[in-house]
Amino acid sequence: MASPPLLVARGVHKAFGGVPALHDVSFTLRAGEVVALVGENGAGKSTLMKVLAGVHRPDAGSVELDGSPVELRSPRESLARGIALIHQELELCDNLTVAGALFLGAELRRGPFLRARAMAAAARPWLLRLGLDVAPHTPVAALSPGQKQLLEIARALRAEARVLIMDEPTSSLTQGEVERLFAVVRDLKAAGVGIVYITHRLGEVRAIADRLVGLRDGKNSGELAAAEATHDRIVALMVGRALAKAARTPHAPGAEVLRVRGLRTRAFPQQAVDFTVREREVVGIAGLLGAGRTELLRALFGADRAVAGTIDVGGRALAGHGPADAAAAGLVLLPEDRKHQGVVLGMPVDQNLSLPTLHRRGRWLDRRYERELAVRSIADLQIATAGPGQLVGTLSGGNQQKVVLGKWLAAQPKVLLLDEPTRGVDVGARAEIYARLHELAAQGLAVVFVSSELEEVLQLADRVLVLRQGALTADLSREHMGEQAIMLAATAMEAS
Amino acid sequence: MHRRTLLIAAVAFAVVVPLSAQEPVKKPRLAFVTNCVAEFWTVASFGVEAAKKEFPVEAVVRMPANGTAEEQKRILEDLLAKGVQGIALSPKDPENMTALLDKVASRAVLITHDSDAPKSKRLCYVGMDNYDAGRACGQLVKQALPNGGPVVILVGNLDQDNARRRRQGVIDELLDRTRDPSRFDKQDAALKAGKYEIRATFTDQFDRQKGKAAAQDALARWQDVAAMVGLFEYEPPLLLEAVKSAGKLGKVAIVGFDENEATLQGIVDGHVHGTLVQNPYEYGRRSMELLHKLLAAPDEAAKKALLPKDGFVDIPARAITKDNVRAFWDDVKQKTGKK
Amino acid sequence: MKKVVGIAVLLLVVGVVTTLGSFDPESGSYTFLSPFNLENLLQRIGLYGVLSLAAAFVIVTGGVDLSIGAVVCVAGCVLPWLLRDLEWSPWLAMPAVVLGCGAIGLWHGLLVVGVGLQPFVVTLCGLLLYRGLMRAFTDDQTMGLGDTAEGLRWFATGKVPLTAEFGLPVPLLVLAVVALATWVLWTRTVAGRHLFALGRSEQAARFSGVATGRLTILAYVVCSLLAGLGGCLFVLDVNSAQASSFGNFYELYAIAGAVLGGVALRGGEGTVLGVVLGAALMQLLPNTIRLLGDSDKLEFAVVGGVILLGACADEGLQHWLARIRRR
Repeated sequence: MASPPLLVARGVHKAFGGVPALHDVSFTLRAGEVVALVGENGAGKSTLMKVLAGVHRPDAGSVELDGSPVELRSPRESLARGIALIHQELELCDNLTVAGALFLGAELRRGPFLRARAMAAAARPWLLRLGLDVAPHTPVAALSPGQKQLLEIARALRAEARVLIMDEPTSSLTQGEVERLFAVVRDLKAAGVGIVYITHRLGEVRAIADRLVGLRDGKNSGELAAAEATHDRIVALMVGRALAKAARTPHAPGAEVLRVRGLRTRAFPQQAVDFTVREREVVGIAGLLGAGRTELLRALFGADRAVAGTIDVGGRALAGHGPADAAAAGLVLLPEDRKHQGVVLGMPVDQNLSLPTLHRRGRWLDRRYERELAVRSIADLQIATAGPGQLVGTLSGGNQQKVVLGKWLAAQPKVLLLDEPTRGVDVGARAEIYARLHELAAQGLAVVFVSSELEEVLQLADRVLVLRQGALTADLSREHMGEQAIMLAATAMEAS
Repeated sequence: MHRRTLLIAAVAFAVVVPLSAQEPVKKPRLAFVTNCVAEFWTVASFGVEAAKKEFPVEAVVRMPANGTAEEQKRILEDLLAKGVQGIALSPKDPENMTALLDKVASRAVLITHDSDAPKSKRLCYVGMDNYDAGRACGQLVKQALPNGGPVVILVGNLDQDNARRRRQGVIDELLDRTRDPSRFDKQDAALKAGKYEIRATFTDQFDRQKGKAAAQDALARWQDVAAMVGLFEYEPPLLLEAVKSAGKLGKVAIVGFDENEATLQGIVDGHVHGTLVQNPYEYGRRSMELLHKLLAAPDEAAKKALLPKDGFVDIPARAITKDNVRAFWDDVKQKTGKK
Repeated sequence: MKKVVGIAVLLLVVGVVTTLGSFDPESGSYTFLSPFNLENLLQRIGLYGVLSLAAAFVIVTGGVDLSIGAVVCVAGCVLPWLLRDLEWSPWLAMPAVVLGCGAIGLWHGLLVVGVGLQPFVVTLCGLLLYRGLMRAFTDDQTMGLGDTAEGLRWFATGKVPLTAEFGLPVPLLVLAVVALATWVLWTRTVAGRHLFALGRSEQAARFSGVATGRLTILAYVVCSLLAGLGGCLFVLDVNSAQASSFGNFYELYAIAGAVLGGVALRGGEGTVLGVVLGAALMQLLPNTIRLLGDSDKLEFAVVGGVILLGACADEGLQHWLARIRRR
């Protein structure tokens, strides 16, 4: 007799404030299986995960664990039953140590006193198992996003989780970290752990999943075995239609608009960076996590003061500048941390869109300008919103990103910097953003973007700059850029 | 001139040196601790200064800024730690400070002034009897209102012993009761007998704006208020402001305590009927004098001889009205060096 | 906006209860509605309302100013000193005091923005520092105005007669002017929009090219300017100040009024009307207690209780409305 599946959800319904998020959704996970859950933003993936993890309780339907129905009233209860949710936004407390975070909620203690040393000792095997090369007393704040992700997983394993739900686990990991994570996942699989895997990266789906389950508009949209999952079939499962691949014909670059000379960032004060960008060029910046890509963009934008160097934007020199000066000179940034730096979540769409340009209309609020800008941007960028008054915090990630893009396009920049522009953005919105960037480049804008996804860099860029340890190690034109060339420049050992 | 100064110094030296040779050369260190910060206590500190010139003592004045018992406790502890030998204190909360006061009394000579703590081991009390002063204040009200009428009282708070006793004195005098300093009528008690009625007592927690607001609200609530009594130094001027804003100057009699400038000016102008003044200057001077003598006493018997039998050094309150306000004010100005 | 409705309803309820309770059978009239009482109440709302707006300026940036009461004390002690001891002209002294207090705000702003200290720490130390300095400066003497400011006192105790019986207190008009200017700044200017944006998310505002540092400093300057103005009005109202107690805890009344009126402590939220209504409720409640009660012992308890009840009712109302909408 075959043992019952590990986790089963049957006919789950869930609505928020009258808006249905899940409609009659069923889902099965067997022990030792990796199931990829795919779908566009807003398809209901996160809601389903939260139902399985006990964050939300379904309005109708049931959840079964090992063949018997269970009622999951809280994440704590789910965890006690062996279901662990690894969050998209890493939820470890930054002020704890690695060991403290690992044992959070299940501290080793003697009476009321913590046994810090015992916990540190007990933490080591877990860290080892995940290849997490940090001391147990390291503060969590000092970890890279990839290390935090691994720590989250270690925490779930420590709690003896048999079901791991991973929501976009690789979105902030470097290539090496992704491979380590995959090794861990295979390891866990062999040990009989069931894994639910959510990602927007279709390459990963094919590399790691046994089976794909699609969700669309809160309903099941079908299943695929890993063997039959081609790119187009996955997209069809998610979107219900085939997406036109963005055709890219590079435009002849125009005059030089950005000239960077001897720029030294705070993070890498020893390395001076020089490069130029021309009109109509799309330049990708590649490199491993921690190579100084974000720091470079921030220094260009003036979000951090550079240690030294000159920046020239269309003939206007910037030095010791702040974001306001950069924007005035025509250099703008779509930051990596969209929720905290890109948009003001608690403000409506129209006010976010007008934020950087209102002051150009005088000291008094120009409501008409704001209204017109909102209407125009929503139409142009196809921002899915109930109206200009909707709070940006209630939009999906892709639409938030469009708002950030919209507010800067209103400033009519010469150079557009983007830091991980498609992180957490689904395939549909991603294609729209790519198309829009090409269009902008065609109109004369210089585009410089940072991405951890090689696929994205190769698809989007005319030229690739590679950073390693804060130094510019390669400047590859379209003919010379390839996965291998980039990885080589990003990882090669220092010439001795 | 110069030569004469030298001569005097030489004579003084000749007189003082043989005298002080018998006693320790070090002057005794004394402290005068108040219960809050007020001009009243500034006058008292001039008395302390005067005592320093009169007697061979070192003395400091300490005023708790927020007027709380905790603050007083810290001040006392710090003084003891510094090795102060004699302390004159106006206890903020005598009922509950007994243990602390006994501790102080065991390590230094302790007397009270302004407000007493009879249950503690303090040696004596320098000041006026607040209950009797309250009754004297009541007499001023009777003088102002021969035909009687409703009276409203404003006071900083009611957890302070002197505030309670003053208020009770005013009430008992107006209601023609027998003398009983231990009586206490609750804030919301109905108090009416004969011609006079105590309509209400308001507290302002030492917030001036609040005191003025309370007086205004009382005038708004009762059209027939005939007199208002302010029991603390800063309050009669607030009553004056409130009555003025109600357009009832001259119609509502104001009686108060202490010698705030605005109160005295109000008496001169005829808007304030009278005020009862203590003698803070003498509190300061006499308590320092007494501490000096107690510390200089050779034995217990000599000490006892210095103390009054009932433990009470009376420095009575005086009623100031239109008749004597000028002379009194000039005297105050002279003592505070403002003239 | 919803918050404003809530506070307005609460204000109305307490007002009606006070009116009905203050019926005087002898004269057949409502004491609460007497011109004298209304004038007094409106005057106090004017005085404290200015402080609540001061507090709101800093709170919308996501900060807090605990030194408002101490700045009130500074203004209250320095104004009499300038007028009586230095014999300045009143029309020079008051602007000088207000601008001086603005300099205190500049100092706060520079410490918060430039040095990066927490607003709580900066202004808490300010609270202790300024009151302590004033006690030393005044030598714990009462600073009385005497009759040196008779003309200036019009700002605090004067009124503009409307009828023979009733006039609008000047402090209320001062508040109206300050509130109107604040409203224009908050809702009609780019600077106001930027102020609220940085209150919601300082980083996002900075990354949008907003001069967040300068605006934050401006908020502290305006806060202390208004606190200084309030301090002048308070001392003109009672005619004397005592450094150890003048303005004690006024920062809490100010913050309570602002928060009660819907200014969120996390920043970026609030309306001028709400702040004024919140300050009004904070003054109405003590008036209610003194007009209706037998003693004022319960004053703090009643103020705290009513506000808490109001907050609970507001929260309940929102839930109930949300549930109805969902159906």
